[in-house]
Amino acid sequence: MSDAAPRLPDRFTEPTTGRRIDLLGYQAANRRNSWLLALVTMALLVAIAYLLAQVTDPGATLFFVGVALLIGAGQAVAGFWFSDRIALAAAGARPATVEEHRYLVNVSEAVAIGAGVPMPKVYVIDSPAPNAFATGRDPEHAAIAVTTGLIELLDRQELEGVVAHEMAHIRNYDVRFMSMLVATLGALLVLRDLFLRWGYFGGGGRRRGGRDSNGKGQGIALVVLLVLLVVSPIVAALVRFAVSRQREYLADAAAAWITRNPEGLARALEKLRAYSGPRLEVSEAVRSMFFVNPELNLNATGMLATHPPIEERIRRLRRM
Amino acid sequence: MGSLIVLIILVVLALYAVSVYNRIVAYEKRYQNAWSQIDVQLKRRADLVPNLVETVKGYAAHEQQVFEEVARSRQAMMNAHSVNESAEAANMMSAALGRLFAIAENYPQLRANENFMMLQEELSGVENKIAYARQFYNDAVMQYNTLIETVPAVFLAGPMGKQPAVFLQIPEGDRNVPQVSFGDTPPPPQA
Repeated sequence: MSDAAPRLPDRFTEPTTGRRIDLLGYQAANRRNSWLLALVTMALLVAIAYLLAQVTDPGATLFFVGVALLIGAGQAVAGFWFSDRIALAAAGARPATVEEHRYLVNVSEAVAIGAGVPMPKVYVIDSPAPNAFATGRDPEHAAIAVTTGLIELLDRQELEGVVAHEMAHIRNYDVRFMSMLVATLGALLVLRDLFLRWGYFGGGGRRRGGRDSNGKGQGIALVVLLVLLVVSPIVAALVRFAVSRQREYLADAAAAWITRNPEGLARALEKLRAYSGPRLEVSEAVRSMFFVNPELNLNATGMLATHPPIEERIRRLRRM
Repeated sequence: MGSLIVLIILVVLALYAVSVYNRIVAYEKRYQNAWSQIDVQLKRRADLVPNLVETVKGYAAHEQQVFEEVARSRQAMMNAHSVNESAEAANMMSAALGRLFAIAENYPQLRANENFMMLQEELSGVENKIAYARQFYNDAVMQYNTLIETVPAVFLAGPMGKQPAVFLQIPEGDRNVPQVSFGDTPPPPQA
């Protein structure tokens, strides 16, 4: 019976699209893309800083570029090393003890054994709203947080499904990539706000001061800069949302594999769909990290939705 | 010039062979580790038994048969030496514990006892972990066997003396979840 096990956990065919998914390749791609993203962000920041310097004070170009590199590096480092602590603090999570949350800890341990990953630290969020998220740069430094509402709502098989989904995210290095993406977005937004506020007072003054021969060049640089600063966060947001959905599907599939029980996860999603109580209040940046959209806008479709529509998730699971 | 190219090719091949060798060893260690993980969970279950028996005896002292069965299975687990013996002992304990909990159903005061409830959850948790550990072991064995039977590792596995590992036959009803398939192959027949 057991030697008829379907296929390698590292490679499987996604039932609906028929695409062959190579999990190992996907994980490696995530790690690679995290670094690429950090580099691209730094390049973008340097470009912005350079243009900024050209527009205002070309002599200080080196200074501007240096500051941009520092900010970029700082954001990347924060995104890599500290995102888990930041996310947990932002969600108001506290460590789950065996005495208080024996059930949750047991379920997490069991799923970790099944997934072949070291057991992540388990946290609890005191909230009736059922939800969960995972954080951590790799399986050795990972944590999952689950709301008390979720523990009460789901039975063992359903909770296993949710926990497996979160561990799949960790194992796939999704969290690392997502945190870096969020850090990137943060850096761009900070810079944009800085420029907008500063441009009012500083840049205007200089232009009025003189140097008309440079006026046109400076004008063009200014326009480019403005476009850059307005467009890049939009693009970053779009990328973040689009990327989120594929990852959720993949995590659902991986969770179904780990538990050998897609029905458990499907039932959990159904219960969440039917929930209509108080919602979880979280900042916009971390919303896409949760198991379902905390805004409970669960069937949202279209480019800006942070999660795939819940109907679609249930359907894909049932077709496995 | 020609001999330099040959040398480079040989070096590349050698490095590749090293990486394949390392992968064989890593997969082997993984399934062996998975095996000991099963043992760890089985031992945890056996360790919970004395406390459980004492708690139940406090309310149902006359159910001697069940207590003896449980005690015997625990003894069997401690005396088991071979793989088959410990598998049999584990099954014996599962059956005995099942009967113990069935009997506990008749004693509402016992069921309400806090210690009992805690133990019940612990045992439920451990049974689940045993099942997952067995599942992971089989996954690891499958990966290892597939590796040493496919190109290119198959060329190294022979000289290394690596044999395919044995799958674990998961006992009936261990985890009551349906078998699923993930694509091309149809679902395996229901056990």
